[in-house]
Amino acid sequence: MAMIVVNGVRREVQAPADTPLLYVLRNDLELSGPQFGCGLAQCGACSVLLDGKEIRSCVTSLSAAAGKEVTTLEGLPARWAQQKGLSPADATQTLHPIQEAWIEEQTPLCGFCQNGMMIKATELLERVASPTIAEIKEAFTTSAPSAHLCRCGSYTAIIQAVQRAATTMAKGR
Amino acid sequence: MSHKKMTQTKNQRNVFGAALTRRGFVKTGGALFVGFGMVGVDGLKNSAKAATTRNSLDPALPESWIEIHPDNTILIRTGKSDFGQSTTFTAYRQIVAEELNAPFEAITTVVMGDTDRTPDGSGAFDFLGSGTPNIRKAAAYTYQALLDLASQRLSVAKTELTVKDGVVSGAGKSMSYGDLVKGQQLKLTIPVKGDLTSVMGLSVDGNPPMKPVSQYTVIGKSFRNSVTASKVAAKETWASDIRLPGMLHARMVHPKSLGSTLTSVGALDKTRFPNAQVVVKGNLVGVVAPTEWEAIQAAQQVAGATKWKDWKGLPGHTRLFDYLKRDADWKTTRVTKSDKSKGDVTPAMAGSAKKLTATYQLPYMKHAPMGPTLAVADARADGTVYIYTHNQNPQALRGEIAMMLSTTPDNIVVRTYAGPGHYGRSNGGNAGAEDEAVILSKAVGKPVRVQWMRPEDFQWSTQSPAALSDVEIGLDANGKMAAYQIDHYMPAMQDDRPIGAVLAGLPTMPAPSEKGVFIGSTVNDISDPWIYDGVVTLAERGHGTFQIGQKASPLAVGLRDHSMRTPGQFQQNFPRELAISEAAALAGADAIQFRMDHTKEERVIGVLKAVRDASGWETRPSPRAKGAGTGAASLRGQGVSVMFRSATYWACVSQIAVTPSTGAIVVEKVTVAVDPGIVVNPMQLKRQVEGGTVMGVSIALLEELQFDESGITSRDWRTYPILKVADLPEIKVVLLNRPEVGSYGGGSEAANALAAPAIAAALFDATGKIARRLPLKAEYVQALLKV
Repeated sequence: MAMIVVNGVRREVQAPADTPLLYVLRNDLELSGPQFGCGLAQCGACSVLLDGKEIRSCVTSLSAAAGKEVTTLEGLPARWAQQKGLSPADATQTLHPIQEAWIEEQTPLCGFCQNGMMIKATELLERVASPTIAEIKEAFTTSAPSAHLCRCGSYTAIIQAVQRAATTMAKGR
Repeated sequence: MSHKKMTQTKNQRNVFGAALTRRGFVKTGGALFVGFGMVGVDGLKNSAKAATTRNSLDPALPESWIEIHPDNTILIRTGKSDFGQSTTFTAYRQIVAEELNAPFEAITTVVMGDTDRTPDGSGAFDFLGSGTPNIRKAAAYTYQALLDLASQRLSVAKTELTVKDGVVSGAGKSMSYGDLVKGQQLKLTIPVKGDLTSVMGLSVDGNPPMKPVSQYTVIGKSFRNSVTASKVAAKETWASDIRLPGMLHARMVHPKSLGSTLTSVGALDKTRFPNAQVVVKGNLVGVVAPTEWEAIQAAQQVAGATKWKDWKGLPGHTRLFDYLKRDADWKTTRVTKSDKSKGDVTPAMAGSAKKLTATYQLPYMKHAPMGPTLAVADARADGTVYIYTHNQNPQALRGEIAMMLSTTPDNIVVRTYAGPGHYGRSNGGNAGAEDEAVILSKAVGKPVRVQWMRPEDFQWSTQSPAALSDVEIGLDANGKMAAYQIDHYMPAMQDDRPIGAVLAGLPTMPAPSEKGVFIGSTVNDISDPWIYDGVVTLAERGHGTFQIGQKASPLAVGLRDHSMRTPGQFQQNFPRELAISEAAALAGADAIQFRMDHTKEERVIGVLKAVRDASGWETRPSPRAKGAGTGAASLRGQGVSVMFRSATYWACVSQIAVTPSTGAIVVEKVTVAVDPGIVVNPMQLKRQVEGGTVMGVSIALLEELQFDESGITSRDWRTYPILKVADLPEIKVVLLNRPEVGSYGGGSEAANALAAPAIAAALFDATGKIARRLPLKAEYVQALLKV
């Protein structure tokens, strides 16, 4: 048995310690944000934040996540609410500005990769408030462990959505 | 199903060939349901095949095309599944709202894909049906029925009625659609034709009056995709989320090669995997377990101990084009000729002042969805089978599973959920895993979820076929094309056999052959409509053959192919458009002007002018500089391409920089002009074009299936790389809205096919060296520029 904190809630999980975190999140905890894309840390569809840093849950074992704070796509609104000091009631009514920007810009095509794109954007904008286009491209391409891939080709819309989210977040909404 | 003569009775009225019936009155609720039936209406020949009587929408049941509810909300149903095109959630709602004169927001529910909940079938292609998709006609019939009802209720002649925002008015009286249907059970039966579980599905028949384009108020606006918010907020149910009570997870142990038969199955290590179980049927091996992680590990362990016969029967990707040219059988299959072919090319070619002779080559490519294929199947004790998956043609899958199980489609239900874009690979009904889940579920008597691992998805799914084309162009003394001849060669493109059924030795449709009909044939039709009517003589021919390895493989599979975005047309448009750019250079003409000089089609000229103006095109002949350098200084070039597809005209300009010393190409800017006639939803179309363009740049620079003599060796995103964000060019989309055309064309395909010929032409413009093969990888370009 392992204990992990997922989206602010302590969860005890029965799965074997070597189980990749992705299967724990999807099958044991019934979260649908992170997707299985490659199982090889090559695409980013399964990304989550582990203590604020983007990791690939398909190659991260449950034991490696034990005792740490996992944030999935489902947890982004609460993360933003906490950062902004919103009341719990307000928090349930909000989306993260990144999610709102993704809707405003109509970024997803099929949307399968967008979990990882929004997770990566969160990590980036928590670190760099107003990234340049070059910094955005760098974050989605060369920062470890691999580029975030989108087969539908939504890259233009992703960059526009990150820029929009940066503007809203800088304003503090 | 019986054919019933329709007569005008008190409870049944004939509305432009559709039958409106009042089935009764109810105290609460009430609705108008639009179903379909094979009604024998005067002047309409209905030939719909009654595929099923159970687990399909029956005209007698309330499930139907369109439902008008008493609260003024509207539900629409379509057999088409949205795979990222957004069309069912945006354009379809706009089209229905337009035909009904109802607000866009009134359409609160879109039901799509499920075989027992949607009426018409067919695949996730040609959504806009060249301007008249099924849902438009269904809405047009519904509008007439609503007017008919209102005329009776308000005692006002139909011609005196007007409708705005779902409220019918006339002679000072008015009534909303909701009030018209309140308290009644109304049913409209509309005529259809076709075969539900065929690839093309059913189509709505007849000619109901349609709203004049000049009165459009909803079409043309940028409504949002209603499913985007639920995906972004992690509220969407994806196919990957489906879990049934008692469900087991499974992983497959696929053969060692594309021709390997099973020698012996490896023993399962029960001490490590106490809850796992191995299922074997013919050459199909699967491992099931209660948890996904146990299934994955147990399948890996069994795979390591399973023995297969070796097989080597493929040319390998390095010898592919030699094989296609010399060894493939192009003689058995009928040669096709385009209907635009005209005149005698041979003497015109012989008498030409200048001549281009060239061969162009395109590799196999993968659809490469971001997630591997998966399905949950529940084969129940009563013989019914439920499949929960993500599929571009659920009704066709239903037919294939029925065939595999030697049962009728009545017993099969397919439910579809969101998933990764498939780009055509499941348009024939399957992507892999669906049939395997059914076989395993039947074997273990429990619901089973099969998901392929990433390498399997590359190695066992279908590919977009390789192609080569021989071109000859003859220019007259004035630099005009007097003769154009092209011979396209491509293996069969549509293998719809479910692979698990093939491996298990269960019934499937036949492999593509010269005797096959329609898409089951090896025939290579001309798919790229000719647009240069100024060319004096023209010969376009298509040569087809069997899939590579199909006949040699003991499994009869080889390299299985399936249509991928802009199928066949991409393979034919790349050689044509690159050759036209080369011919322009031979004539000493500007590549855009040269194209304009060879067509009278005003819409072709329109997109060319638009792309020229928006891209910063330099009007001059190519190449810019004679002779390639080998230096580290980058050279810049421009190239253009044109296409006509799905009633839409496209033109593209690519501007690139290439570094001769490394061969690296940077695509700096891609400009696409698109004229679909009426633009239904500018924002969604723009996003579709941007996305397709990125795929197009990826195809041009990077994509090539690797395979050896035994099978596919591309196994992940390192061995099949696609474009990364860092390599994203500036993309400029110019939408040409032309209401005067009176119809709307499709916009989800073609954008992916435009970049490659324009980029190759830009490389030629920059360096004077022509690359007639994709992908334009650095090593290839570097070697080309050294010569």
